[in-house]
Amino acid sequence: MMLPVAHVGHYLWVLYVIPVLIVAAGIVRTLLLERRRRREERD
Amino acid sequence: MTWLPLAHALAARQDLPIPAWLFAWGASIVLIVSFVALSVAWRKPRFEEARWHPFGARLSRALLSWPLQALCGLIGVFLLGVAVYAGLRGTEAPDRNFALTFLFVTCWLGFPVLSALLGDVFRPFNPWRAVGRAAGAGFRAIAGQRPAHLAYPARLGRWPAAIGLLAVVWLEVVHGASGGVAVGLDPETAATAALLYSAYTLAMMALFGAEEWCERGEVFSVYFGMFSQLGWLGVKGGRIGRRRPLSAASRWATLPGSAAVVIASIATTAFDGASEGPLKGAIESVFDRLVDAGVGLTPALRLADTLFMLLCFAGVALVYLLGVRGMRTVHGAPSLAKLRVGFAHTLIPIALAYLVAHYFSLFVFQEQAQFTYLLSDPLGTATTDLFGTASGGIDFTLLSANAIWYVQVGSLVVGHVLGLVLAHDRALAFWPDYRDASRSQYWMLAVMVAFTCLGLYLLSYENG
Repeated sequence: MMLPVAHVGHYLWVLYVIPVLIVAAGIVRTLLLERRRRREERD
Repeated sequence: MTWLPLAHALAARQDLPIPAWLFAWGASIVLIVSFVALSVAWRKPRFEEARWHPFGARLSRALLSWPLQALCGLIGVFLLGVAVYAGLRGTEAPDRNFALTFLFVTCWLGFPVLSALLGDVFRPFNPWRAVGRAAGAGFRAIAGQRPAHLAYPARLGRWPAAIGLLAVVWLEVVHGASGGVAVGLDPETAATAALLYSAYTLAMMALFGAEEWCERGEVFSVYFGMFSQLGWLGVKGGRIGRRRPLSAASRWATLPGSAAVVIASIATTAFDGASEGPLKGAIESVFDRLVDAGVGLTPALRLADTLFMLLCFAGVALVYLLGVRGMRTVHGAPSLAKLRVGFAHTLIPIALAYLVAHYFSLFVFQEQAQFTYLLSDPLGTATTDLFGTASGGIDFTLLSANAIWYVQVGSLVVGHVLGLVLAHDRALAFWPDYRDASRSQYWMLAVMVAFTCLGLYLLSYENG
C-alpha cells in the first residue's frame, strides 16, 4: 500500500511554525484574560 | 510493508533519535521553561550596574603598551597585505587561494567567537586602525599638533557599519555565489574590494579620526566589537579587567543604527541559509521574470538575490519590531523609541548563535585548509611549500553529521536563552513592578521562539 504523500516535504515548515503559534496564542489568551479581569475589577 | 514515497520531503537524518522538527519543539519548551524560571527567580536588574574589576596595573600597562600595540598592528597590516597579494597574484581557484579562506572564514567567522570569549581582540590587530593611528602620530610629530577632524554626525551613529555589513555579506554571498566551494568569490575581486575598502576606511579616518570611525563606521570593528560585549574581559580607562558576562552588551546599543547592525547580522546569515533552501524557488522565480524582461543572466541573479537579502533584513526587523510593539501595550511601558533601542542588544547572542549554527562545520573544515596547504602555498600555485604542509588536506570525517547537528541545536538554544536573560534584565530596569516586566517579556519570548524555529528550519533544510 502506498500513501499519497509525495509532496509532504513542501509542508514540513508547518511543523516549525506550530511552536510559534502556540506561544503567540498563549500570549493573546493571557492578555485577554487579564484585560477581562481588570475590567471586572473596575466594574 | 507500507512505503512512504516522500519524493520532495526533507531527508530525515537516519541516525538522529527523533525527527529534526521535534528539536524545534524541544528548543521552544526550553525557552518557555527558561522564561518561567526568569520570571520567578530574577526580580532585580543585574546587568545595568557596571561591575568592573580591573586587573593589575602592570599587566594592563604591558598588554596596552604602544610597542605591543604597534606590533599587533603591524601583524594585522602584514596579514591584510598577504591576503591582498594572494588575491591579486594567486590562483583563480577560490578554494586554493589563501585570500578567501583567510578573509571570509578565518577572520569573518573566527573573530566573532574569539571576541565573545576573550573581548575585543580584533582592535589591536585592526590594520586600518593601526595605519590611521600611525598616520596621526606622524602628523603630530611633523606639525606639532593633533590633526583636526570633523565632528562625526551623531545621527549617523552606526548606520555606516550596518550598511557596510550588508555590503560585505552581499559581496560574498550574492556577488560570489557559486556552488561547490566554501567561498565562491573570485580572489581578485576580493582583493580589489579589500583595497577599495582600505582606501574608503582610511579616508573616513582622516575625516573623523581613527578611533571615532572604528567605534561607529568601520564595519569590522563595529561587528566584532559587538560580539565582544558578551564576554567578561574588557578595557576601561586604560586598564584591562573583568566584568559580569553579558553586562557590557546592555550599554552597546545606545548609538543610532546599532539595532540595524545586529539585525543585519541575523538576516544575512538567515539569507545565506535560506537562499539555498526554502527561498530557492522564489529566487528562481524572480530571476526568471527578470531574464524574461531582458535583464542579463548574471545581473538578474544578483538582483534577485539582493532583493531577497533585503527582504530577509526587513523580515527580521519586522519580527523584532513586533516584539517591541507588543511590549508597548504593557502598563507603564516607556516610549516605542526607547524600547526599540533598549532591547536591541538582546539580539546579539542570537546573532552569534546563528553564526555558529550556520558556519560551524564550514569553519572547522576550512581551518584545516587554512593551516595546511593554504598557509604553505598561499598563492595556490603548487610550487611553494613554506611550512611543509602544502600536501595537507581537509579531513571531512573529523565531524559527524550528528555532531554538527547537536552543535547547531545547542548554540541556537543557548543563544536564545541568553537573549531572553538580557531582555528580562532590561525589562526589570524599564518596569518598576517585576510582574509588569515579566508580562512585557511574553512578546520577546515569542520573538525568541520564532528565531529559534526559523534557525532550526533553515538548518534542517540545509542538512536534509
